[in-house]
Amino acid sequence: MSAAIDARTLPTGTALSCDLAIIGGGPAGIALALALAGRKWNILLLESGGMDFDSTVQHLYAGRESGTRYAALDAGRLRYLGGSTNHWGGWCRPMDELDFAAQDWLPHSGWPFGRAALEPYFARAQALVEAGPWIYDSKGDVESADKGAMLPLKDGGVYTSWFQFSKTRGDVLPTQFGHRYADDLRRAANLKLLLNANVTAIRLAKNGTGVDRLDVATLPRPGAPGKHLTVTPRHVVLACGGMENARLLLASNDVMTTGIGNQNDLVGRYFADNPIPRDVATLVSFAGPLAPFYGSNQVMDDGAIMRATFAPKAVFRTAHHVTGSLSTVEQPVDLDQTGKAAVITTAIALGIDASNARAYSLGCGMELAPDPDRRLTLTQDKDALGMPRLKLAMHIADADFARFRRTLVELGRQLLVSRAGMLRINCHSRADWLANMDWGHHHLGTTRMSADPRTGVTDPDGKVHGVGNLHIAGSSLFPSYSASNPTLNLVALTLRLADHLKTVLA
Amino acid sequence: MRRRSLLAGVAAAGAAVAAGLYRFTDLIVKHYPPTPYDDVLARLVDREEAARLGAHVTDAGAPRLLAARLRKTLAGGLRPALEAETRAGRLVEVDGWLLPQSLALLAALAART
Repeated sequence: MSAAIDARTLPTGTALSCDLAIIGGGPAGIALALALAGRKWNILLLESGGMDFDSTVQHLYAGRESGTRYAALDAGRLRYLGGSTNHWGGWCRPMDELDFAAQDWLPHSGWPFGRAALEPYFARAQALVEAGPWIYDSKGDVESADKGAMLPLKDGGVYTSWFQFSKTRGDVLPTQFGHRYADDLRRAANLKLLLNANVTAIRLAKNGTGVDRLDVATLPRPGAPGKHLTVTPRHVVLACGGMENARLLLASNDVMTTGIGNQNDLVGRYFADNPIPRDVATLVSFAGPLAPFYGSNQVMDDGAIMRATFAPKAVFRTAHHVTGSLSTVEQPVDLDQTGKAAVITTAIALGIDASNARAYSLGCGMELAPDPDRRLTLTQDKDALGMPRLKLAMHIADADFARFRRTLVELGRQLLVSRAGMLRINCHSRADWLANMDWGHHHLGTTRMSADPRTGVTDPDGKVHGVGNLHIAGSSLFPSYSASNPTLNLVALTLRLADHLKTVLA
Repeated sequence: MRRRSLLAGVAAAGAAVAAGLYRFTDLIVKHYPPTPYDDVLARLVDREEAARLGAHVTDAGAPRLLAARLRKTLAGGLRPALEAETRAGRLVEVDGWLLPQSLALLAALAART
């Protein structure tokens, strides 16, 4: 059995070597390590934190934000083994085929490959996130049949789609990769897990074409100074999350003065998250209460945990220039006098009995359009390890809200056509949209993939353009984003990278 | 013979009371002051609720023009017109509620009379 090593216990100046260094012990780093466990290559997994939350370590994430109000940079992610799966909600949904496509009305969109490239990896990703059998839209309607009736939505641009959820154990949160897979990592003979090990610089060879070594530092403790180590790897995978991947590349600027992979000024740009505006609409069901799977997670007969959501169809998105969105029922609401008048007047006019009607608020996870000016840059501020802190220039365009609004209008139209209900749109101004805004804390896009170095930091395999032995894993690779929660998808993408690395390392 | 007459009398009195309730009270059906647009507004079962909704329609225009437009669009019946508009996506927002266009205009007319 291999062991987890606390880097703080190693003598300063310790020099380690390995075939593959994985920087970051979040879902991408752990999925990659597990995929390569038991192979002949010597792998070192470097995690900045330990096994549990430590506010001193967490503070390394602090930074600044400007523009549209956004979560503090140290609030939406966690810096210990398992990364942000230590606080995720377990929402899973595979990205749609259209999410991968270049959409001519959506500048900068499109992956360098289609969903087919990830299909072989979804089943294993689903197993790693412990979301049960693969059901989603393929048979969500059948699976949910005994829980209640679905809202009938006749032909139109919106359909009922399905989330699945990472396994919950009683009141325990969904699968937290660190705690869940720590023993598996320790059991792998070819794997060393180095905790409390902060990579502070990626050192390139003088010609800039490959990584020579990694500088690693530990935080000082009372009575014990911080340690400085080095790692000499054959290959490196950067898997620190959508913000920290960019930070480490930008800060490693001794050879490539603008930062590694940043020869075309792309690192840190195109940052995105999934905005989650609450109470965006009021949905009325004429027939009475909605089935329980609309408003809360339901355990199905085969153990899958599922919840219904309203999504725009690909044909509607294309025809109406709409981005991805997943609208979910939040909670029952009472209608005001105008709302009651709207329901009574409409139902009577259409010859519908709405005497048992019920109203619900709708929330939504939105997809943002790619925007190069929504970006992370380094500041002059330094953290406790001397690393420059980040600044995020956040922005949501009015067009992002307008695109989602078109989907809501279509849902309202379909409810009326289907004689199933009606819809009120509750947001009429930018201030309305922002008033109840949450964020998915899905950090996306800052080291985007592209076959062309002028439009991507990495190639389609996640290898940094121009650097032979440096790959990137995680949602920072996503060139466009989808409304689907990223964890399942980034794990699938990482498993694809693992297959690629098997060839590279051999 | 007297019993039959009595029953007929009771029935006639009942019918008269019912007719009175229908005509002179709102117990059976709501009554509204006469307007030049009653032929259009008659398509609304509950004009008060419609008026409450229609008060939020801000750009419906003058009632006379509104009624003339509705006479045309609703000539084939209210429900078929609304269903056709909904299928075609001719919806408007009234206080945020997505409604078939003619229903919003009808509610607006109710609010303006």
